[in-house]
Amino acid sequence: MKRFGRELSVTASLLVLLAVLAVTAPAFFGKQQLLATLTAAAPVLVVACGMTLVILVRQIDISVGSQFAVCSIIAGLMARAGYPMVLVVPASIATGALLGAFNGWLVAALGLPSIVVTLATFVSWRETLRWVREGEFVKDLPDRFQWLGMGQSAGQGVILAVAALVFALLVYGLGWIALGRRVYAVGSDREAARLAGIRPGRVTWGAFVVLGALVGLAAVLNAIRFADVDPKTGTGLEMQVIAGVVVGGVAVSGGRGTLWGVLAGVLLLACISPALVFLKLPPQWEKAIQGGIILVAVAADRGGRSRLS
Amino acid sequence: MSTAISVGKPSWWRSEFFLVGVLLLEIAIFSRTGSNFATAINALEIVRLSAEIGLLAVWMTPVVLTGGIDLSVGSLLGLCAVCFGKLWRDAGLPWPVAAAATLVLGALGGGLNAMLITRLRLPPLIVTLGSLSLFRGLAEAITRGVDNFTGFPSGFLDWGQGYLVGGIPAQAPVWIAVAAGVIVLVHYTVFGRALRAIGHSPEGARYAGIAVNRCVAWVYVLSGTAAGLAALVYVARVGQAKADAGTGYELLAITAVVLGGTSIFGGTGSVWGTLLGVASLAVLRNGLQLSDQPGELAGILTGVLLLGALSAEVGFKKFSARRRASVTLASSNSPS
Repeated sequence: MKRFGRELSVTASLLVLLAVLAVTAPAFFGKQQLLATLTAAAPVLVVACGMTLVILVRQIDISVGSQFAVCSIIAGLMARAGYPMVLVVPASIATGALLGAFNGWLVAALGLPSIVVTLATFVSWRETLRWVREGEFVKDLPDRFQWLGMGQSAGQGVILAVAALVFALLVYGLGWIALGRRVYAVGSDREAARLAGIRPGRVTWGAFVVLGALVGLAAVLNAIRFADVDPKTGTGLEMQVIAGVVVGGVAVSGGRGTLWGVLAGVLLLACISPALVFLKLPPQWEKAIQGGIILVAVAADRGGRSRLS
Repeated sequence: MSTAISVGKPSWWRSEFFLVGVLLLEIAIFSRTGSNFATAINALEIVRLSAEIGLLAVWMTPVVLTGGIDLSVGSLLGLCAVCFGKLWRDAGLPWPVAAAATLVLGALGGGLNAMLITRLRLPPLIVTLGSLSLFRGLAEAITRGVDNFTGFPSGFLDWGQGYLVGGIPAQAPVWIAVAAGVIVLVHYTVFGRALRAIGHSPEGARYAGIAVNRCVAWVYVLSGTAAGLAALVYVARVGQAKADAGTGYELLAITAVVLGGTSIFGGTGSVWGTLLGVASLAVLRNGLQLSDQPGELAGILTGVLLLGALSAEVGFKKFSARRRASVTLASSNSPS
């Protein structure tokens, strides 16, 4: 009970929100609306899974939003150039992995602080993209791009299935595979992990690469929801993702937290914006409420724990 | 991270040297490429443009010195700007009163961070990430995302657009006074020394009799107040207050601090370095603009500069640590 306190409290908050919505705005649970909410949350969840790894090894990546934009544009350009989607998707993932590997190399091999490294790459990638593309949308995409050419409902199904698969794989990997346990080990005590025969540098680097690859995948999952690719896509994604991960109970001090909590955290934050619409509140309040939830969630967790101990 | 290396800092290596070099290089290049770059008027213009980021960055330095971070300053700037507009236009307060209230609001915003960080002992990164969202959201909610406050009285706008004798921008005295104040506070007072001690080891500082929570709380309150002040300078300069004022400023301020050689893990750093960091960023932006280069290049080069400064420092430390290690090894092996 105490061990999964945060997971339970976040899930409880999510259920309360859903219950309020069920009473006041049943339309929120309409099939179309629910699917739209979930498909919008799916890319965020995929990135959040990767971010969980990075935060578990006691690092952080602020540059995911910019990586996301780079991957989206590359995917869009390749699709327009006539490449089939079976090539576009791996290319986007590889681009993300490459960008992640660069961050990871600077952090793991050179020992630079990750918050500063990713702050630098955050600015650099975003501005490079603006310079090269001059804010131009990628338009005239082939029919097979949007919803993978399968129509909206099938496309939404694919997005949700892929996100669920990634989530399940990572839950399994973090919980039941030696590699996953190493992530926790390095995050809890780097030196002890080293003495136990783990190479902390490699694990850290690997976490960044996996995060990058997942960003590349999420970029495609997001891009295929639209008819063209916005070069500003992913702006503020880093905050959304980090907030979801932290609300879900992953400790920024590393080594503590589960993906189930992250799932609840991401869903909770994802429900706010549609909930505001259905509760007839002005949508401008979204960010304020999001911030409030983050603060209350972390404060409640800490308050509860200090009383227990 | 690399704890063993960061302790032994060679006395003559200062990241300030690197920055002075960068600054000189920038000036040398832009004097050639930029039209009207190397003029007194432009130098003063750079001072004007750097005021807001500078105010945030010099107050960010003590925050980072304690091992913390304040991501909320840009959003707080936006909230303060919007509230200033609201108080002046809709509540009908005279602008000096509204300005004073704005500073108080900034202090309260910083106080919220301070309370969550010290009372609940939450990590500053998370707290200020939450308040980043909260403050910006409140600014958007107050303006409903569209309201734009303009038409401020000229007595107020003169503070951001006017000139004193000799073409000195009106905000320069405020900016210099604040910077000087922070330098004295951080480098020449017991309080400043306490901040470093806390950054090195909060527990150790507590055993040394430092009121850790009180010191940390003050740092965030002052950082919030600086955001309020920066909001006033910003509104006076651009003549309008919108909800998106100061978006991304927190990252620029942190960049300036880290460029200036302050360790992101706390404990070491200087306000002088931060000032050099602010200057090199402002000169870069201004020089590229006057050289007809795209504005995006400034962002890219900022990132490159940040990585370069860090790598240079880490590389140098590794090099000197290795040399020192080999010296001690040799001396211990020699028969005595």
